[in-house]
Amino acid sequence: MDFSFPKEYRLLRRVVREICETEIKPIAKKIDREHGVPSELVKKLASLGLMGVPFPQEYGGMGAGEIGYCIVAEELGRVCSSTTTVVGAHIGIAAMSIHLDGTEEQKRKYLVPLAQGRHIGAFGLTEAAAGSDAAAIKTTAVRDGNEYVINGTKVFITNGDIADTIVIMAVTDASLGAYGGITAFIVETDSPGYSIGSLENKMGIRGSTTAECVLQDVHVPKENVLGRFGAGFLTFMKSLDIGRASLGAGCLGGAQVAMEASIQWAKAREQFGVPVATKQAVHFMISEMFVEIEALRSLVYRTAWLIDTHQPHIMEAAACKLFGSETAGRCSNKALQIHGALGYSRDCEIERGWRDQRITEIYEGTNEIQRIVIASNLFRPYGVKVST
Amino acid sequence: MDLRLSEDQLMFKRMFSDFCAKEIRPRGEHIDQAEEPPVELLNKAVDQGFWAALVPESMDGCGLDVYTYTLMLEELARADMSTAVTLAAHNSLVVKPLLDHGTDDQRARFVPGLAMGETLGAFALTEPGAGSDAAALRTTAVRDGDFYRLTGTKVWVGNGGLAGLFLVLARADRGITAFLIERDTPGLTVGYREKTLGLRGVSFTTLYLDGARVPVGQRLGDEGKGLDLAQHALDYSRLGLGAMALGACERSLEEAVLFSMDHIQFSVPIAQKQIIQNYIANAKASIEAIRGLVTQTAWLADSGQDFSQLASITKLFSGHTAYEVTNKLLQVHGGYGYMKEYAIERYYRDCRALEIVGGTSQIQQYLVARDIYRAEGLEIRP
Amino acid sequence: MRIIVPVKQILDPRGITVRRDKERIFVNQEEYILDPGSKAALEAALRLKEAALDAAGGWEILALCAGKAQADDALREALAMGCDAAYLLCDKAFEDADISATARILTAAIQKLEGADLVITGRESGDTGAGQIGPRLAEALGMAQVTDVHTASLVEGGLRAVRRWADGFCAVVAQLPVLLTVAPVAFPPRYPLGARVMSAYREWQVPVWDAAELGLDEAALAPLLSFRRESFPPPLDIGERFEGDPAGMAEDILAALRAQKTVR
Repeated sequence: MDFSFPKEYRLLRRVVREICETEIKPIAKKIDREHGVPSELVKKLASLGLMGVPFPQEYGGMGAGEIGYCIVAEELGRVCSSTTTVVGAHIGIAAMSIHLDGTEEQKRKYLVPLAQGRHIGAFGLTEAAAGSDAAAIKTTAVRDGNEYVINGTKVFITNGDIADTIVIMAVTDASLGAYGGITAFIVETDSPGYSIGSLENKMGIRGSTTAECVLQDVHVPKENVLGRFGAGFLTFMKSLDIGRASLGAGCLGGAQVAMEASIQWAKAREQFGVPVATKQAVHFMISEMFVEIEALRSLVYRTAWLIDTHQPHIMEAAACKLFGSETAGRCSNKALQIHGALGYSRDCEIERGWRDQRITEIYEGTNEIQRIVIASNLFRPYGVKVST
Repeated sequence: MDLRLSEDQLMFKRMFSDFCAKEIRPRGEHIDQAEEPPVELLNKAVDQGFWAALVPESMDGCGLDVYTYTLMLEELARADMSTAVTLAAHNSLVVKPLLDHGTDDQRARFVPGLAMGETLGAFALTEPGAGSDAAALRTTAVRDGDFYRLTGTKVWVGNGGLAGLFLVLARADRGITAFLIERDTPGLTVGYREKTLGLRGVSFTTLYLDGARVPVGQRLGDEGKGLDLAQHALDYSRLGLGAMALGACERSLEEAVLFSMDHIQFSVPIAQKQIIQNYIANAKASIEAIRGLVTQTAWLADSGQDFSQLASITKLFSGHTAYEVTNKLLQVHGGYGYMKEYAIERYYRDCRALEIVGGTSQIQQYLVARDIYRAEGLEIRP
Repeated sequence: MRIIVPVKQILDPRGITVRRDKERIFVNQEEYILDPGSKAALEAALRLKEAALDAAGGWEILALCAGKAQADDALREALAMGCDAAYLLCDKAFEDADISATARILTAAIQKLEGADLVITGRESGDTGAGQIGPRLAEALGMAQVTDVHTASLVEGGLRAVRRWADGFCAVVAQLPVLLTVAPVAFPPRYPLGARVMSAYREWQVPVWDAAELGLDEAALAPLLSFRRESFPPPLDIGERFEGDPAGMAEDILAALRAQKTVR
């Protein structure tokens, strides 16, 4: 059994780490304070191929697969959760759904510019009354000749206001319910009728915009149906399932820096005449962080390998998201406590990590939903239906 | 044993609750967003006795017992944590030590201003090199005839930007000593205001003392008795933080219960989902546990007994519990819990301070363990 | 147009702690990287190629590395940055090579490749900092050399380079073939594209040439230098101490800076 990363991934990690440390880390605080990942940074990441990491090179991507993408997500997660979220929504669910379910023409037309980072992607699923209950969406798509006309409002959409391409889930037949009645559409955001409502004011990941997207009689050609007509639910489930692994990777990066910062602080800070690192209350916390981080690392990269080798991975990916987000939460909370009053100050980067990590237990399927996904898959072979 | 509130206590509780709900609660979001101490609110609160809670009636104060004081802090926290912490620091860490350790002259000079809302109090103990290890403080107080000259730097002084009177701990010839020093004293400069994760309506500042002259008459207690005085004040502070944790958790539960009844997913309010019910039930259990500790500690204080250990226990338990409770109740809100329009978002950030201010949870653990082993004849070191 | 860039793989200095008090260098993390000087040389080569893309003639940039088997990673990185081919010069007999022997190995490889129009190296490496490889290669290959180059461009008649000279710079025009050593600060290296990182390992071959293939015998590889011991240089007594009260010290420091012409 060889648990080492193949050499190209080791070089990729080193290159991406340098990019993150040089281009992103110095402005991470500013991104949080001024609520925006600068578009020049996004362009720079695009020029370095970081907006299409897992996609094949023939579609403009890096050809690094899920393992490569998790490496990139981890490195980004080390320096800036806002940037990780912008890139993550773009690659992980928006472009990914086109990669998984798009026709050749759709991939040429939409995936290529997304993978190259010339276009930004967003994924429009959530509505005010349809969060965990994604099947309860009310946005409609009505056939009109060779087009569909879409009406509805999506909320909490990452990149909603900067996206060129958005994958929208809409009800095409209310009588058929979730399976059969929902279809995915590729929508160009410069279409007449597409507008942005409000932008959310959030606790963290403040550099990532979370928008309300309003569709009023937006016309899309029938060629823009993504995946099978009426099978939109499956399209978005597939996308979310895979996206969860890289979310865990982003959390791994965040947890890792929380631990590294704690080690550096604890060995430098002296109280009672000694470095606080020598106090059991402190170093026990750090040891616990190490254990969880190592467990998460194995979980994330094994899941990425399952995905890249086309093996079943739904439970493992849900576990990555569930365990990753809670680990990042525990590590950032312990790191804050180790830093004492300084950890509570916005002059220190620890509190930003604490705020940024909190959303990871909620978005892309709350951790409650992840537990249901895992349980449902565990009990299915026994004929016991576990649902929401 | 009768744990019911007396008529007076009920009356005060209702009065505090009404004022807080009407005046303070609606301003909570703004106080946090603007990062502004709520000066007008604090002024309005004078008439309700919030500045003079522990001042005896004989000195024109409210004359509340400690338990009713905790009810006051609970109601304040339920409305807004920043306002609560501001008033708690004033009452527990400045007014109370002055009442307990001041001379008649000191009390006559300073209590009226503090009680009438003219002067806000601030407590200055922590230094850059003396956080948990408070006894390692380096601010000096050099005797110079009828004065002391204070030199040093204090950090994380709560209310520093607004206070008119500071209670400062400094090292004099006979050891750590407490002093009362007014804001306009030459040599005293209020410096940088901390930008914090939560409690953004509290003014935490640095305080510079550069040979600031304090008359001997403003030394509080004897030389060398400063740490005991500080410890005693911190007992009230820790109990107060427990009461605020209680109020914060109660407010958070209220928010989560209402949200879970309104928010429909899978065709029913999420209140109908078992796991949500479990989160709510666990939060309620935690709240009642905190209440038990606060009540018992306050009773010990009111019956003149040593309540130091139980105050530490209250702070230790309630600080950590408040984090767990607000964290879970934020989760009940789903994505909405991450948005600043929902109160739980700021209560989660505000409550995080409770494991740090007033002595970290780790220090509380040390203090409790120290007492246990001391009773058995063993001295343990931090 | 052919450019050859000899590159070096070094121990990452970020994983090293120098402890004067213990008179030792501690390796906390043993990681090997492509030498920053080499990366600057590669960057210089790539910029020349990009500047000339509209000109006639095929361009190739070749990277060479004399090192252990793991130096293959350094060459993959060079390929990922944009080189067209890379060669690893590796043999047990090379393991004790000093700087003169390393230069002879590289010379043999360059001759095997039938030379180049340009050879570019870093001004000095990040580990030994000797700065000798470039000049030694130039001598052995009979090429002109320009060292400590800050800018380079192809012009009528050859290559124009601006190099450090005394307190400033001077411009030199050299006929090809010429060897340049480049200043790292003037050629901050580009990040390799991720897609090329993937391809560098998955699609490219890096031929390995040993002593026999390079025609190097024991005599050719005999070192000129032998290592006796390592010690720290004596502590330097540099700088000026200022004492007194803050206002007085400030005045004195300002006067000293003015005398040094650091401030006006």
